[in-house]
Amino acid sequence: MAFLAGVFGSMLGVGGGIIMVPMLSLAFGVPIKVAIATSIVCVIATSTMAQTTFVSRGMTNIRLGMLLEVATTVGAVAGGVTAVLVDGRVLQFCFAAVLVYVAWQMSRRGGDVTPVRTGVLEAAYYDPAAGREIEYGVRRTGLGFILSLGAGNVSGLLGVGGGAFKVPIMNLLMGVPLKATIATSNLMIGVTAATGAAIFYGRGYMDPYYAVPAALGILAGARLGPRVAVRLSTRTLGIIFQVVLLVFAVMMILAALGLTP
Amino acid sequence: MSASQERALAAPAHAMAPLERAIHGILAGGIVLSVALMATGLVLGVAQGSGLPRGVVALGELPHALAALWPAAYLSLGLIVLIGTPFVRVVGSIVVFARERDRLYVLITAIVFLVMCLGVALGKV
Repeated sequence: MAFLAGVFGSMLGVGGGIIMVPMLSLAFGVPIKVAIATSIVCVIATSTMAQTTFVSRGMTNIRLGMLLEVATTVGAVAGGVTAVLVDGRVLQFCFAAVLVYVAWQMSRRGGDVTPVRTGVLEAAYYDPAAGREIEYGVRRTGLGFILSLGAGNVSGLLGVGGGAFKVPIMNLLMGVPLKATIATSNLMIGVTAATGAAIFYGRGYMDPYYAVPAALGILAGARLGPRVAVRLSTRTLGIIFQVVLLVFAVMMILAALGLTP
Repeated sequence: MSASQERALAAPAHAMAPLERAIHGILAGGIVLSVALMATGLVLGVAQGSGLPRGVVALGELPHALAALWPAAYLSLGLIVLIGTPFVRVVGSIVVFARERDRLYVLITAIVFLVMCLGVALGKV
């Protein structure tokens, strides 16, 4: 199971905690805090292993990732402030609604964004599926930064990494091609997860009985995932991503209704 | 062999920039070290017939637990290395940006690192 989670998570630039936590908790009877800690370790393993492939192929836009990490980390740390103001269940319903909307937007677009050279954080990578080098620049950097603050904030509140938000923000809004978006999101989720994991370790919720086998399985899976992702056509990758977003939305609604732990 | 596979094989190898090389090295090193430690812990666990331990070893007890060959100590250190790798990656990026005299990104990356540390200190996830 951890191997499969590693393949999918690293293919799509998401951590998958929203699926993994209830699964560990319901199917394996893992206490909820330990399940969250295990899932966070898995996100780090996914990100770290996948980046060895993405970075060596020049897929990751490292500067863009670092810039948006400022927004997501600040947003996550400030999550507690928002928690006082808004009811968690309202947030979960909003989260689900946004996921469905994003999946719909992505499917309406059909293909990938058309790369435009903007002079901002420009990068290029070789796409084996398209058989050519893709050059692109970043659009609407300011708005992307502000929305990333919000994404980090919500993810801090709901205890999810927020890869599902980072990918649409970079892809749909900032005009970054899907494969570069996935690679960059994958880099970013490692940072948020490492912060969370350090806290959970300190509080004694880390259990090697679950964390070690899960991490090893994920590491193996995340070696395969990026290799599959770069070879797939962007269209296929987009469709897989949309399906996963809808699954995330269903999980969020179940959580809001109190049907998952 | 399909046309797309041929194209993939003919793909020009990406020449990594210094920043990419540094990050790749740090992450790959972190994985190798972490997997080696976890494997050591698993082997020790099997050899001592104790199976997989529950619970991690606290940081303070780690040196003496490692010396005593506790399986839990090696598994814990493996997890610590894995968790620490993204922190080292961020610090490594600061060093490379500084070497390239990219002041803006030294600042941006330093902020990320400080917020990560602040998050750990505040104990918020």
